[in-house]
Amino acid sequence: MKLLKRAGARRVAVGAVVASVVAGTVAFAPVSAAESNTEGMQCDTDAHSNFSLTAQAGYVSTPDGNSIYMWSYGNSTRGFQLPGPTLCVTSGDTVTVVLHNSLPEPTSILFPGQSGVTADGNAAQPQFDTSGSTLTSLVQPAAPNNGSVTYRFTAGSPGSYLYSSGTDVEKQKQMGLYGALVVRPAGKTNQVNDRIDSAFTAGKEYLFLLSEVDPDVHLAVERNLPINWSAYTARYFMINGRSMPDTLAPNNASWLPGQPYGAMVHIKPYDKVTNPLPATIRYLNAGTVNYPFHPHGSDERVIDRDGHPLVGPSGQDLSFLKYDLDVGPGQTLDTLMDWRSEYNATSNPIPTQIPTITDQLLVGTDTWFSESGYLGTKNPTPTFITSNNECGEYYHIAHSHALQQATNYGATFGGMMTLFRIDPPTGCPTK
Amino acid sequence: MTKNPLARGLSRRVFLAGGAGLVGAAAVGTRLLPALAAPAVTAAVPTPTGPNSVTVHLAGTDGWVSMPDAPADAPFFPDSLAPAPFDTYCFGFRNVTGMTPSQVAAERGKAQISAPMMFFDEEDDIFITLTNLGLAQRPDLFDGHTLHWHGFVNAIPLFDGVPELSLAVPIGRDFTYYYRPHDAGTYMYHCHFEDVEHVQMGMTGMVFVRPKQNQRRRGVITASPAFAAGAPTPWGGTVATTIPAGKKYAYNDYDGSTRYDREFAFMVTELWSAAHYRDAHIQVNDWTDFDPSFWLLNGRAYPDTVAPNSVAAGPANNQNVFPVGALPVIGADPAAAANRLQYQPISSLINCKVGDTVLLRLANLGYQNHSFTVDNIDLTVIAKDASLLKGRDGTANYITTNTVDLGPGESRDVLFTAPSVPGKYLLYDRKYSYLNNGGGGGYGGMVTEIRVNASLADQTEPNH
Repeated sequence: MKLLKRAGARRVAVGAVVASVVAGTVAFAPVSAAESNTEGMQCDTDAHSNFSLTAQAGYVSTPDGNSIYMWSYGNSTRGFQLPGPTLCVTSGDTVTVVLHNSLPEPTSILFPGQSGVTADGNAAQPQFDTSGSTLTSLVQPAAPNNGSVTYRFTAGSPGSYLYSSGTDVEKQKQMGLYGALVVRPAGKTNQVNDRIDSAFTAGKEYLFLLSEVDPDVHLAVERNLPINWSAYTARYFMINGRSMPDTLAPNNASWLPGQPYGAMVHIKPYDKVTNPLPATIRYLNAGTVNYPFHPHGSDERVIDRDGHPLVGPSGQDLSFLKYDLDVGPGQTLDTLMDWRSEYNATSNPIPTQIPTITDQLLVGTDTWFSESGYLGTKNPTPTFITSNNECGEYYHIAHSHALQQATNYGATFGGMMTLFRIDPPTGCPTK
Repeated sequence: MTKNPLARGLSRRVFLAGGAGLVGAAAVGTRLLPALAAPAVTAAVPTPTGPNSVTVHLAGTDGWVSMPDAPADAPFFPDSLAPAPFDTYCFGFRNVTGMTPSQVAAERGKAQISAPMMFFDEEDDIFITLTNLGLAQRPDLFDGHTLHWHGFVNAIPLFDGVPELSLAVPIGRDFTYYYRPHDAGTYMYHCHFEDVEHVQMGMTGMVFVRPKQNQRRRGVITASPAFAAGAPTPWGGTVATTIPAGKKYAYNDYDGSTRYDREFAFMVTELWSAAHYRDAHIQVNDWTDFDPSFWLLNGRAYPDTVAPNSVAAGPANNQNVFPVGALPVIGADPAAAANRLQYQPISSLINCKVGDTVLLRLANLGYQNHSFTVDNIDLTVIAKDASLLKGRDGTANYITTNTVDLGPGESRDVLFTAPSVPGKYLLYDRKYSYLNNGGGGGYGGMVTEIRVNASLADQTEPNH
């Protein structure tokens, strides 16, 4: 039905800006202590794997114009961001994370899947009150109002992990205290794990940290009011702290200052000579329910679950292909994906005709469609339609198939959704 | 460490000829068999009348369906606008293949749930024309419709059915989608126009692809050397024992492990009465309030799930869609199940005979996770999301279990062996809060029966 439409004007503006950014015409100020790539996973790294995070409050914006009060981890030298920084380390390394707490209540960080985790030199362990019977935190916290705690651990098996608060977990995780820890295999470049069959194309590494927001909870925390958990209903659904179409904006987009991570996948078709390796996508669930994430146009091969490769006892390959990655709360999946071109105007033509534009329904005031079935061919669109298509590249969506999660507070083509862009083999001429 | 024995990009033809099957240390990636079927020489352009072509004509429209007895939930259920014997507004597809234009137009307002079930052979040239008949109850709306073949690998946007990324079919128009599926398995299809609404409203159905290993195409059986003893498998080994032609397999397994006698497909959805009511009554719905009232298998809630198919099977072995042709409009007697279910034609009753191997094709286009169980019969999951559970080195990873989980947008292929004595067994969702109708007492929702008979004629069509 047509009554409840998306926030049209803003969406068009974002789409147009995305197109121009993809064309490489916008520059970004570099972010200190982190990679600054416009697309793909953006790591915080350190030669000694020492990181300093500050738990702090800030605001994020949603595509329908809302502004949400959040708590999150920021790199202490940069400030608030949602989600927390993606910490990239190498398996076996000693990792140190100093947590500073600027929040008005204790907070902490859990590092599941890592070994020998300590807090201020003591083994990480659950905390109880003085009676010894009431659990107060899943791990040693930093005191409120500028307390701190130092965690240290040995980075675990190569793969993806979700780090998140271990204190007042239902509230603090909903408020945004989570981030991704990526453990890379030692001595292997551009591999997801230690197996050669986990190799991916350099630079084609993506991370989707999936989460949800009930704005009523955030309003209650902001106003220091009680939270009514029995009325909890998520209204916003995010990838890397952004909702569609903001997921398409580049990393470090100036208009999303607290949400630095984009989620658009940008690849070329498989080619045995020029593009033989897949891309990799890491899925992490920081929410309360399963997120059944459905990429259109391609299966993805699940090769790791929760930071462990899918192998049998003597190294048998137990990976499998999926067209829907059903990620449970706290779970991570690492996948490989590619896309293979089949149609060619001379050797394998598309055996149907595209109807004239007046016989099509183009939705909204803009389109991603090239008005051609062939990769790399772009035909005209009507003047009243804004084309986001640059050179005949393909776009596929990828989204939660619990479809109420693919909305912004109920408005379709939003929420936990992004685009996979497939360029012609030779790239776009303007690039 | 186990390496993929196959180089990517190797044409299937070369591969099947036993050519460069053992290449390359750096052979890695997602798919084992390349999906490229394009031969080196220019092939004839497929046409709808070609020898391997299948043409299907679907129409998208709205209509009315019936849920079993359930407590009233005023004003949402039963809907006061519903003509007898119905109670719930819906959108849906109809199979209008072979109809004249005026017959097609007469299907406006006669949507069905679940959508027509479609089944094809690998490498068929499939032309599916979708006609948008508009919404009889909502002439104020100008909603498009599309066809999204969920899970189709290497789809191009033109045929993927996402209106924002390609195009949608306006009211009064039609558009032809083309598919040549290379990968056997259980898929689903749905409209992707304002998806959260059109999917919930009922535009969801099953589509599945039979493997080349059946060595049966369009009903014609032809033994293939690719499945003879000694032929190479995709995993670097060889076929141990010739796989006989003309049997039924779920996948190209090269070892006969997915053979079955009967197949039953289940489109798993939920129905939220309030949303359906609001669509009929020109009201806006907040989809994040999603709170379903009925839990459906093939568009029906138990006990309707075990009622027979509303129409008979078509001619055996050469149909690609069920049901075939116009559904009979029987009458308005609200007491007759055949009348109530005339727009929910697909039964979920599993009829088999002792010792049969039964294939369940489960696909979820609801918005909730489900977990299916059968008391006293083991279930073996052989595939997820239309991919056989074998690793890139051929290691079988089938899962024998009593609980099959199924998230939104996922599919499972499950085999079970019918017990050796006749009897009745239940297939149901172990989430017991989904086993009621509209919050009423007694059993309802996602339940169906497995009836094991002492003898039964061979199955000629799915869900029969």
